[in-house]
Amino acid sequence: MLINSVILILREVLEAALIVSVFLALSQKLQLSKRWLMPALLFGFATAAIYALNIQVISQAFEGVGQEIVNASLQVVIFGCIALFVFFIKNAQNHKRIAFIMMCCVSMAVTREGAEIIIYIQGLIAIPELRSPVLIGSIIGAGIGISAGVFFYYLIASLSFKNGLRLGLFLLILIAGGMIMQASQLLIQADLISSQQALWNSSSFLNERSLTGQLLYALIGYEATPAPIQVYMYICSLFIMITLTVRTLNHFKQREII
Amino acid sequence: MSYYIRYFAFLCLLITASVSAATPIIEIEIRDHLFYPSEVEVPIDTKVKLIIINQDPTAEEFESYELNREKVIPGMSKGIIFIGPLPAGEYPFFGEFFPKTAQGKVIVK
Repeated sequence: MLINSVILILREVLEAALIVSVFLALSQKLQLSKRWLMPALLFGFATAAIYALNIQVISQAFEGVGQEIVNASLQVVIFGCIALFVFFIKNAQNHKRIAFIMMCCVSMAVTREGAEIIIYIQGLIAIPELRSPVLIGSIIGAGIGISAGVFFYYLIASLSFKNGLRLGLFLLILIAGGMIMQASQLLIQADLISSQQALWNSSSFLNERSLTGQLLYALIGYEATPAPIQVYMYICSLFIMITLTVRTLNHFKQREII
Repeated sequence: MSYYIRYFAFLCLLITASVSAATPIIEIEIRDHLFYPSEVEVPIDTKVKLIIINQDPTAEEFESYELNREKVIPGMSKGIIFIGPLPAGEYPFFGEFFPKTAQGKVIVK
C-alpha cells in the first residue's frame, strides 16, 4: 500500500511542482516579485478542497461527465495562462499582469492535482489499517515530487539569463502541450469529441507503465496509443507555444538582453 | 436547393441519433475494492459506454494505460466512461486507489 501511495501522490505533485518551479525560476530570471506564490497555493488548496468535497455532485453533472468537463477546462485555462505568460514577458512593464497570470496558472494546477490527493487520502485514511502506510507514503511521494521541483528551479536558476530563459520556456512549451493532450483525452472519454482508433501504438517501444513512460507522461503528456484528434490538437498547441516563444526570444535578442 | 440541404441535414441528424442510440452500455460494479465483473467483452471497432458503479464508501479511480482512461469514481456513486472504437485485444484496467485487488480487463473481439 505504501508504495502505491508514494507513486500516486508523486504523479500528482510532480505536475504541479514542475509548473511552480519553472514560474519561480523565470520570475527570478526576469527579476519579478515571487509574492504571487503564496496566494496561488492557498487559493489552489482551497478550491481543491471545494472540488474534493463536491466530487459526487461534479461527477453527476453534465450527464455524468462533469469531472471531465471541469478537469479539461482547468487544463485549457492552464494552457492559456502559459501562452499569455510567454506572450507578456517580453515587456517588463507588464509585471503585475504576469504575476496575476502565474497566480491563476498555479492555483488551477494545484486545484486539479490537489483535489485528487484530497479524495485519495480522505478515502483511505478512513480505513484504520491503511492510515499510517497511506500517510507515510503520501508524505514520501510529495517529498520526492517537491524535490524534483526544487531541482528544476535550481537547474534553471543556476544557468545564465539567456540559457535559463531558454530552458524555462522550453519546459513551458512541453507542459502546455501536455495539458492540451490530456484535455483532449478527457473530452474523448466524455464522448464530447468523437473517438477514433489510435493513430499508433508505441507501447512495445515505450510503455506508459514504465518509469520513463510515467516521467514522459508528466512532462509532455506521453500516450502510447493516442487518438488522431489528440495528436492534431497536441501539434496545434505546440505550434502556438513555439511561435509565441520564438517571438519572445527574438524580442529579448533585439533589445540585446540576451 | 435549400430543400436538399434540409433533407440532407435531417438525414445526418437521423444517422447521428441512431449511432448514439446504438452505443452499447456495460455496467461494472466496485465492491470491497474488486470489480464485478472483472472481465468484460466488447465488440470490435465499437464505441462502448461503461457505467462504473462504486458500492464502496471509499472513492476509487478507474485507470487503464491501454485504454487511455482515468476517472475518479466517488464512494457510493457512479461514473460514466466512454471507450473505443478499439482493435481486438485485451485491455487491462485497475483501481488506482486499491491496485492490488481492483483489477480487470476489457476483452475486445
